[in-house]
Amino acid sequence: MPNKLSPLLKRSAFTVVVGCGRLGASIANMLSDEGGGVVVVDQERESFNKLSASFGGMTLTGDSTDISVLDEANLGAAAAVVVVTGNDNTNIMVAQMAKELYKVKHVVARLYDPARESVYREFGIDTISPVVLSTREIRRLLQIEERGDIEENV
Amino acid sequence: MKTPSQRIYLIGGNNKAKLLARSLTERGYTVAAINASAEICEELALIPHLRVYNGDGSLPNVLDDASIHDADIAIALTGKDEDNLVICQLCKKRFGVKRTVALISDPRKTEFFYKLGIDSVVCEVTSVASIIEQQTLMNEFSTLVPIGDGRIKISQVPIPADAPSVNKRVMDIKLPNHVIIGCIVRGEDGMIPRGNTVIHAGDVLVLISSDEQESSVRELTGRESEM
Repeated sequence: MPNKLSPLLKRSAFTVVVGCGRLGASIANMLSDEGGGVVVVDQERESFNKLSASFGGMTLTGDSTDISVLDEANLGAAAAVVVVTGNDNTNIMVAQMAKELYKVKHVVARLYDPARESVYREFGIDTISPVVLSTREIRRLLQIEERGDIEENV
Repeated sequence: MKTPSQRIYLIGGNNKAKLLARSLTERGYTVAAINASAEICEELALIPHLRVYNGDGSLPNVLDDASIHDADIAIALTGKDEDNLVICQLCKKRFGVKRTVALISDPRKTEFFYKLGIDSVVCEVTSVASIIEQQTLMNEFSTLVPIGDGRIKISQVPIPADAPSVNKRVMDIKLPNHVIIGCIVRGEDGMIPRGNTVIHAGDVLVLISSDEQESSVRELTGRESEM
């Protein structure tokens, strides 16, 4: 099958965002606003409604665990892949496919489960866990408040 | 008979898990099942000598609670390739399970799974297709077992009366280097051929080959291979 996307994409560095939920759409909008090339992949066409009106990247409807869909997204030429579907195990598999099959340098996967997140970080995948990030941020905010309290008391 | 000492964990799956659990416990293995569905767990619990844990086997804490580190073999049987990948990787890398087996539905991912360190990858589609092929082409040349992603094949070749190899010694048949005759099935008997073994009409040869299977079939039977 002829690859419709590749001639356009080869010209510049681009990022593939897998999963167009709130996080995926937000990342895609950000990258596009910054002038970067973006391909967003999602199983549901309606998910792309979350993209902003100014989004200048490309969308691809399909199952991201399907090798032919990843081929069509031209993963082999991508500078980075961000895997943020709603399913941890899908994210783990697609991230490893990007690394092993397409040799993508920068692969980031979002994992909801912190226990799985720590395991896969050990395996060499850049993972982020919303729970861990939120916990850290909340702790930081609490510490600032505490310090504020202490300073007030001095 | 010596009782097998291996501990086997079956993770996920429904009918396959039940069937394997029955067959393996009957053969004396120590078997445990982990399943995310409470309903399937209740049915699994009816199988004698089977330990059953309810939970999602792709979660490290569920595997930990089920003492997966005791396992010698972990078999991931869920219906989703990605779940089976994660189950096997966690079992192997996190919990030190010696042997992991993953069931997959997409044949194109077989090599990828091996690359990621899964010890055995069983592809449902490929296996079923090969069994159907074997059953329907019983009298023709057929591949019995594809090994190593199909690169090595064990196949059976029936020898018709008009075959050029009939009444010839094995050593006189010009077989390619990549093919050996592993076994000759003659009537009820199976025999391991030597150089001076003579091939009879009606023999079924079991070939092990890494390449050039077609030309050896032509050499033996005088027919074109249909594979």
